[in-house]
Amino acid sequence: MSNIVNDFCINIATANGTGSQSANLILLQSFFDMGIPSSGKNLFPSNISGLPTWYIIRVSDNGYQAPGNFTHIQVLFNKDTWEEDLAALDPGTVVIWNTDSKMPMTREDVISYPVPMTKIARTLNAKLARMVANVIYVGVIAELLDIDQEVLNEAISKQFGGKAKAIELNAEAARLGREYARENLTKIDPYLVESRESEGDEFFIEGNEALALGSIFGGIQVLAWYPITPSSSVAEGIINWLPELRDKDGKATYAIIQAEDELAAAGMIIGAGWAGARAMTATSGPGISLMQEFIGLSYFAEIPCVFWDVNRVGPSTGLPTRTQQGDLTMLYESSHGDTLHIVLIPGTVEECFEFGWKAFDVSERYQTPVMGFSDLDLGMNRWACKGFEYPDTPMDRGKVLLTKKQMDAIENYGRYRDVDGDGIPYRTLPGSGLDPILYRGTGHDEDGTYSEKPDVYFKLMARLKRKIMNSADNLPVPLFREEEECEVGIVYYGSMENIIQEIDDILEETGRKVSQCRVRALPLHSEVKEFMERHETIIVLEVNRDGQLNGIMRKEMPTELLTRIHSVAYSDGLPPRATQYADMILNVLEEVGV
Amino acid sequence: MSDKPVRAVKLNVINEPKDSYSGGKSSLCPGCGHDQVSAVIINAAWENGIEPHRIAKMSGIGCSSKTPAYYLSQSHGFNTVHGRMPSVTTGANVANKDLLYLGVSGDGDSASIGIGQFIHAIRRNVDMVYIIENNGVYGLTKGQYSATASKGSKKKKGITNETQPIDMCAMAINLGCSFVARSFSGAKKQLASLIRAAMSHKGFALIDVISPCVTFNNNDESMRSYGYVKENDVELHTLGYIAHFNPVEEVEVPSGHYRDITLHDGSTIRLETISEEHDPSDTMAALTALHEAEVAANHVTGLLYFDGSKPALHEDLEMVDTPLIDLQEDVLRPSKEALDGIIAGFLG
Repeated sequence: MSNIVNDFCINIATANGTGSQSANLILLQSFFDMGIPSSGKNLFPSNISGLPTWYIIRVSDNGYQAPGNFTHIQVLFNKDTWEEDLAALDPGTVVIWNTDSKMPMTREDVISYPVPMTKIARTLNAKLARMVANVIYVGVIAELLDIDQEVLNEAISKQFGGKAKAIELNAEAARLGREYARENLTKIDPYLVESRESEGDEFFIEGNEALALGSIFGGIQVLAWYPITPSSSVAEGIINWLPELRDKDGKATYAIIQAEDELAAAGMIIGAGWAGARAMTATSGPGISLMQEFIGLSYFAEIPCVFWDVNRVGPSTGLPTRTQQGDLTMLYESSHGDTLHIVLIPGTVEECFEFGWKAFDVSERYQTPVMGFSDLDLGMNRWACKGFEYPDTPMDRGKVLLTKKQMDAIENYGRYRDVDGDGIPYRTLPGSGLDPILYRGTGHDEDGTYSEKPDVYFKLMARLKRKIMNSADNLPVPLFREEEECEVGIVYYGSMENIIQEIDDILEETGRKVSQCRVRALPLHSEVKEFMERHETIIVLEVNRDGQLNGIMRKEMPTELLTRIHSVAYSDGLPPRATQYADMILNVLEEVGV
Repeated sequence: MSDKPVRAVKLNVINEPKDSYSGGKSSLCPGCGHDQVSAVIINAAWENGIEPHRIAKMSGIGCSSKTPAYYLSQSHGFNTVHGRMPSVTTGANVANKDLLYLGVSGDGDSASIGIGQFIHAIRRNVDMVYIIENNGVYGLTKGQYSATASKGSKKKKGITNETQPIDMCAMAINLGCSFVARSFSGAKKQLASLIRAAMSHKGFALIDVISPCVTFNNNDESMRSYGYVKENDVELHTLGYIAHFNPVEEVEVPSGHYRDITLHDGSTIRLETISEEHDPSDTMAALTALHEAEVAANHVTGLLYFDGSKPALHEDLEMVDTPLIDLQEDVLRPSKEALDGIIAGFLG
């Protein structure tokens, strides 16, 4: 049997609230520190303690980050899912199981490594045995895969940063696990890890924290939010970092309000944007649903403010701790009546940072709500990050008149008059004394005065559309990977970035060469249309049921291109798996006859 | 040059004529109590000598929320969405704490759809004046009962209200609101004093103004009609607001009295002005006065509760002295060194 090095998936089945998350992150960090491309996905329940949780670690020299199609190493720790987890395994899978769970090993076709994890933990610390037992399996895995104890210790000390007692306890637990494995188990599986050359210039970070930092470097002044998974860690990240980065002589240069609900959070950022501040909220789909009325107000009254949606599975409460790209259409067309919003769609943690600060510039430039679109997979999982680029442009505060001189320079000023022909009017701020108006959600003319006149309304709505559509080519450009053949092109967006390479490799193995275009903002950049013109067959790839970007493209692309578009949309709550989407793409291509 | 004699225009303490505080023409029903409130707001702002452009007019949706168009044309304003004026004002307030936020709402806006935001704005003690123009009825949608309509009230046409009302003042006191008053749209002097005091208050100042709807809720069976209020009015002491620039100004209205006020249609409203003995720092006394008035089917008016020591939201947030909106990029965007430091920390 030949060894399989740096190419496997570990699935760890535990219950939440038992400390298993720390153990799993130690393992992930160890692989990372060895320079091995690796990623972790936390499949957790909407619960604080006691329900099943799975943590999937993919180790891949190819840099593949999606959960693989198969589990190669299964850790069984949770009684409740024991039988189901065991039944799902392919023959030959490695199973590391806690004999103290008092559950039977019913499979004979797997590689079984029984370990009395709880008992070992109890010898170390009876009180904390339940928690410490998690680190026992980390030690066992380390021994089986050949992870150096030094590497493990380093990861443990990172995980428990500064807490000497916790570090000591966990390091000892890992050592005991390793010792047990060495003395009692005979390795008969092929899986091993080997260190890889690494420049040491990468670190792990969750998308939400990257976004939090980006928002701060965007000069956030007001944060209003209401807790909701999976977005809370955006707000908490901002709250955590702001004092260090933005306090001045011990005083805050920002305001943070935990609102009574999402409606209030939306109202607060609109009030702050109206007053002249950079304001944002972070929420998820249910929150955006509640904010609809306010989003329409900010669109119609032309008030800058930033909404971040970290998408979870809908509709309704849905699968609140699972991932999806199901809110794209809602964000793009939020609120009643004719509306259209700028949507920024990061696909990597680096872009979470970048779009975090850019969102404010775009919102103030176009005097309109800007929607940021992330998802649970990107936001709440740890991803390797190469660092963040410092903003390369000064803050763009948009067309704000601050002095009488500036105002006088404009002939025939009106709050909603399109002076420059770009659809963007000038605004003044409350308190300035410059052309005060009563902002309103009702129909208004170019001076902001109430009006129900048909031509006034018609022209206003046309200008608003023009303003938003004009933004398209000034938003983050789509990214392309093009094949010379230019036959099939895949259009995708967001966190799908993290599996596209693997999809591409799978397709290439079947002899298919496909180009790719990653959309990073709505409205669609003109280069998306050009990409479509260059490719006879377009496949729109997304993590939802209905193919939402597909729908948007069908609405906005020229009629003659529409027959090229095919949708591959799928969502089951799990992070997307490359093999699944590749198969669906192949099916479509077969149907189309390409 | 005209040879007509120049008529002296009366100016306020900052040399502004009252015209600087006026607004557009009202489109409310003739005789609407809300227009009287608007007139009082104009007077109060003028007399307090506030620079018009330093006021921000805030409102939700409804008849009352339309009124910001009818006063203070030189102030920015925001006619927001139904029931959500408190949150918009909260956001604006923390962004620019130095403006005077003047919110006008109605009983539908504040006691029903917006009651959650109303409560939380009080809870946070947002620095604002919050006037409820309270008529117990939805005017703009043509006469449905609101949540403040008294039990047993009867509209001109239609059924009797059998649902018990919410007393916004009692609720505000229970929530720890730092300034709670009730008045009547026709009691100009008292209302002016209360609004002027509220404008000087740092924190959430609620004035629940009984403001009869002349169209949908003005028959004597309605407890908010002019007729009813005139018959059942007991006046508490009218507040003698003393402005900081005019320490001698006083308002002469007897306290501890009932007063029946005749309204435009000849009906009356009985207001009771809270007595001079009433201690506005005494929560229980304020609640007792409200309770007794409710039992007697009167409206007790005046400053019911006051606590000037409570920190306002913008103080709780411990922000820099400069309003946030005046901070520039050098303060708002951390340096490149700061980012490098963060990344170095992540790299370990």
